[in-house]
Amino acid sequence: RNSFTVCFSVGYSAVALNHVIDFKEKKQEIIKPVSLSELFPSLPIVQGTSKRIKVLTRLTLIVSDPSHCNLLRSTSANIRLYDIIAVFPKTEKLFHIACTTLDVDLVCINVTEKLPFYFRRPPVNMAIDRGIYFELLYTPAIKDSTMRRYTISNAISLMQICKGKNIVISSAAERPLELRGPYDVANLGLLFGLSEGEAKAAVSTNCRAAMLHGETRKSACGVVYTVKKPRKVEEEETAVPACKKAKTQA
Amino acid sequence: MVRFKNRYVLCEVVSEDPRCRQCIEDRALGLAVRDAIARVHGDYGLACCSISFTVKYLNAYTGTVLLRCRKDSYRLLCSALPFVRHLESRAQRYPCFLNTLHVGGTIRTCQKFLIQYNRTQLLKLLQNCTNEEERQCIQKSLLSCSLTEEQSQSGDEEEDDGTE
Repeated sequence: RNSFTVCFSVGYSAVALNHVIDFKEKKQEIIKPVSLSELFPSLPIVQGTSKRIKVLTRLTLIVSDPSHCNLLRSTSANIRLYDIIAVFPKTEKLFHIACTTLDVDLVCINVTEKLPFYFRRPPVNMAIDRGIYFELLYTPAIKDSTMRRYTISNAISLMQICKGKNIVISSAAERPLELRGPYDVANLGLLFGLSEGEAKAAVSTNCRAAMLHGETRKSACGVVYTVKKPRKVEEEETAVPACKKAKTQA
Repeated sequence: MVRFKNRYVLCEVVSEDPRCRQCIEDRALGLAVRDAIARVHGDYGLACCSISFTVKYLNAYTGTVLLRCRKDSYRLLCSALPFVRHLESRAQRYPCFLNTLHVGGTIRTCQKFLIQYNRTQLLKLLQNCTNEEERQCIQKSLLSCSLTEEQSQSGDEEEDDGTE
């Protein structure tokens, strides 16, 4: 909870609460996300603008077996309550499945150990077309030196394949002191091999697009927003990947 | 024009421990930043960045720090700043982190940014004010802060520590 107050003071405009599910244990039920009104009686305002900060809920599935993916296809009611769904594939086949057919918004890239598989171009390009983003975590890099090496090597190998597109950098901070401001995180992106414009996008526009992708996934495939003018350009951009997704699935 | 170009990086020290703010000193901070650069970029990075590296300005009440480095190596410095985890001074370790606010080419631009930033911070504090005295105090300092000749450093921040 302290982490949230620090986030807000540092200048983020939307924060997502993560809930991790590991499939190694036998029975895992997806529980409902923590309701937001329990945490905050009133959400504080973003620095610099007069809008309230958005707090989203997010689910991360650690999959090491193709049968675990069935959970995503099942229409468990609780899954629909999460705003963003992320998947953390452990093998190459699962990475391929996640990029091509699974209905997720983010694919997490492991930063804490050497990747057991190399990235290949076809699934990565398909993921970019579908509007799926690759996520890198930066908190292990701050904590430990060997993790830093793995983070940088995995991040750079990803960059070489995807040319810096569709990257989101996020923190898995458990304590408020492990958080860093948005400008600092964009500078970390430079270390990962992104160019400066791409690094800033990784913190701002890509995240926003991933959020919108989650919203389109929640509502239906191929929804076109008709919102009034200032936001129209942005909604059109993200309505396109949803349409493309409908085409590939149909 | 033959002139050494510098970059001035404006940061804010954020910490949970209220005692940390009081014992920020420029030497301790300089050592912490150099240590972070050495860990991330190694000997080469440390050598590059320390050509003209100093802590130019430090405000212990608000935790504002202004660092200077050469223009060629400011990227190394900026990318190593997120790795600063704690400050050590007088054999005490305080966990904290640095939040980069602004990078500018001259001290004057950083100062202008700092004044605007402090103004927004004061506005935020105004919302959280509890009693009338503090409110009036803050309003007065809001109206009076500006970039004048002699008051340039002290006119910036007049905040109540209690509400921080």
